[in-house]
Amino acid sequence: MDPQNLAYALIQLVHNFGAVAIVGGAAAARWLVRDAPATQRRLAWLVLAGWLAQSASGAGFGAVSYLFYGQFPDIHAIARVALMVKLACAAGGILLAAAYLRLAADWLPERRGTVWNTLLLLGVTALASAAFLRWFA
Amino acid sequence: MTRRIASAALLALALAFPLTALAQEGSVTISAPADGAKLQAAADNRVTYEIMPGPKGDHSHLYIDGKEIAVLRELKGSAPLKALAAGPHEVCVKVVNKNHTPIGVEKCVKVTVE
Repeated sequence: MDPQNLAYALIQLVHNFGAVAIVGGAAAARWLVRDAPATQRRLAWLVLAGWLAQSASGAGFGAVSYLFYGQFPDIHAIARVALMVKLACAAGGILLAAAYLRLAADWLPERRGTVWNTLLLLGVTALASAAFLRWFA
Repeated sequence: MTRRIASAALLALALAFPLTALAQEGSVTISAPADGAKLQAAADNRVTYEIMPGPKGDHSHLYIDGKEIAVLRELKGSAPLKALAAGPHEVCVKVVNKNHTPIGVEKCVKVTVE
């Protein structure tokens, strides 16, 4: 088995499950368990883990390229903007999920709902950006 | 201890293997413009290419003076060289992998725009 493809595939696997966690977790918290704070808290851990997995695996793609070819992926224009958007979403998602875990016990339901909406928006935006990053690089 | 040795061996293998052998496969041919060609700024300048991506390549990128200007997904064809200013330029076609990383299969020509 080609070690390069194996490395990319394993990182892609982590990246994909991270994507599922950030969008699925936020959507579930927003609509399926909106009146269950304890379950929402568990989902916040899932979403935080998802964003961390996305960040680490995103860096992993670059690291594998550097390991095998001595340089990072060559992207430009639209793809570069898409990458910046993804990075901003990841930073926002990590901060917001962490803040939720630390502070949400004192928040009103409306505020928790706003945070889940924002986390969902960040996830959807990151996934949309990933499509442009993939095909416009 | 055994685990550390195994980890070191794996790392050494990963570092040594790809940089040497993999990048040498595949080829790029630029049939136009020729190396050293003089182009007219007002003309519809295009690069005509043929690519064999090799087992590691996925698609190709077109560069002018080191800046990527287009993604080439066809193995054979031509692409416009947009808005070339007067002066010397380097036109390159580089094969990249699915992660958009140049794999070392490339061809460059130098042209002068008048």
